[in-house]
Amino acid sequence: MKKLSIAQKAYLSYAVFIALMALLPVLAYYDIIQNATVDILSNVVIYGIAALGLNILLGYSGLVSLGTAGFMGLSSYFAAYFTKDLNLPFFLSLLIAVGIPMLIGLLVGLVSLRLEGYYLAIATLGVGEILHKLFLNIDFFGGSTGRKAETPQLLFGLIKLKHYEYNSFNSMFILLIIILGIVMFLTFNIIHSKVGRAFLTMRGSETCAQAMGINLLKYKLEAFAISTLFASVAGVLFAHNLNHTDYQTWTMVTSLNILAIIVIGGMRSIFGTLIGAFIVCADVLFLHYIPISGIDYILRGALIIVIILFYPRGLVNIFHDIKRLFRKFFQRKIGVGNG
Amino acid sequence: METILQILFNSLEKGSIYALAALGIILIIRTSFTVNFAFGRIGMFTAFITVYFMNHILSSIWLGAVVGIISAIVIGLIVDMVVLRHAHKVDIIGKQIVTLGLIIIISGITPLLFGINPFHLPKFINYVGQSDSLTIMNASIEYNGLFTVGIGLIFMVCLFFFIQKTKWGLAVRATASNEPTARLMGVPTKIVTMSAWAIAGAFGALAAIMIAPSVNVKPDMMDSIQVIALIACVLGGFQTFYGPVIGAYLIAFSRNVFTYYISSVWGESLMYVLILLFIVFRPQGLIGKKIVKKV
Repeated sequence: MKKLSIAQKAYLSYAVFIALMALLPVLAYYDIIQNATVDILSNVVIYGIAALGLNILLGYSGLVSLGTAGFMGLSSYFAAYFTKDLNLPFFLSLLIAVGIPMLIGLLVGLVSLRLEGYYLAIATLGVGEILHKLFLNIDFFGGSTGRKAETPQLLFGLIKLKHYEYNSFNSMFILLIIILGIVMFLTFNIIHSKVGRAFLTMRGSETCAQAMGINLLKYKLEAFAISTLFASVAGVLFAHNLNHTDYQTWTMVTSLNILAIIVIGGMRSIFGTLIGAFIVCADVLFLHYIPISGIDYILRGALIIVIILFYPRGLVNIFHDIKRLFRKFFQRKIGVGNG
Repeated sequence: METILQILFNSLEKGSIYALAALGIILIIRTSFTVNFAFGRIGMFTAFITVYFMNHILSSIWLGAVVGIISAIVIGLIVDMVVLRHAHKVDIIGKQIVTLGLIIIISGITPLLFGINPFHLPKFINYVGQSDSLTIMNASIEYNGLFTVGIGLIFMVCLFFFIQKTKWGLAVRATASNEPTARLMGVPTKIVTMSAWAIAGAFGALAAIMIAPSVNVKPDMMDSIQVIALIACVLGGFQTFYGPVIGAYLIAFSRNVFTYYISSVWGESLMYVLILLFIVFRPQGLIGKKIVKKV
């Protein structure tokens, strides 16, 4: 058999992963798993997409952003407005709702040419805060009540996606994971292209990158554009998945949560990001077995702290450690047998 | 004239609160090398403790505030000793996520201990004689506001005296400028970091207790103050301890000016945009040397 290349292996693993995820709503339809589980997992998918964007920005390019939630929020409002109020088709609204935040993201990219580290983190936090203030104060964003959205209809109403209906197939989830698959594919291709290598050099040393002829302006803008693009796609999906968006979601804590996803999962790793998203967004699935009520929130925080203390380089390394542990265990057994 | 004076009074009062918060954040940034995003939540938690002790045990806002500040110091010590001291292998961003974990833990504990209803915290000083506010040229400032300004100034002057003039202050400055070298020189950096967390906790508690009469004691009471304090740190520059204080007063003043003279809806956002533009053109902040990068 012909050996697969790295890219082919990666594509195959993504395809298998997406196919397995697509089984979940089927299982839920036949009541093998709960519908609520699929709902929680759709949050994992949405925040996973945003975190993949931040991973390109922070993990590969070394630029930090705490404005992710603001951009997600902006695109979610636009998506709600375009589909519900203007009745635009889903994909057209997706294009426009993603395009506007991307332009603002480019402006923030310009800021990143001058700032770095804490300064950039807090400057982007400031951008997030400006957006948060606008969501609350301006009529277009619906103030404190927010905006309503609808589960999208694809191809001029031929396909009607369903979500929160009793005893129906959760087809919205299929759309979510198809988009997740596309985003994973794009991420892999970006980081294994010329652009990705430029990002990595920039992360190592900006001076060195410049000396090698890498145009910092171009690649920093590109990094911010890609990161904002993924965040806005996640925002659009958020609005359509929850059928509602309001200012309370798009705060500093949400931005920190998205940052937590990639730190917990492991920087510069696509599956690591998804593991992180699962830990941060779907911890309810395993924490609800604990019988004391009200304590799950505390455990959630403690879990994040413990993971970071023990796996500072990301939870994705846990597989490596388990493998090593197994090998050690079996080698000792063999040793005892021989002796 | 009286409008400007009124704005000035209001800005002084709010500015003192922002300045205390900014000082608490910059102390931890300089000595512990992480942005403490849980700063506001710790302050909020101690405000709840203050309310609880005032309502149930001590029946006095003064004693309640003392208990609140002491508990904030204890929380600061615990956070440093239990979590951040062991995070030396974790990189800068990881440490900030640790403080996110703290936010989640504190937000989980608060409703368990104090319920979900917001509380009202009274002012320290309600009346002096017959009136509740001092009037100068038709502009008035509440006596409680004067007290806030005074307390803020006293604490800040004490801290700056401590940092600039005492031996321990020298240790703080040494740790802030270069932690490994300071440790090699025999500076007890662990104790310095620990006391920075304690003092920052106390400042957070003070800021929370002072803002509480106008916003009520509720879980998100400190969120906007924390964001303003963080932006004040960037505006003032991270290199000095007094830069963020100046930044905080400036933000308080310009926020009032912008919301009064320009627009109550857009004013604050416009101010943030201007601050961002300012930072782009002067990345080191108002006060601070330009960082020279060496290859």
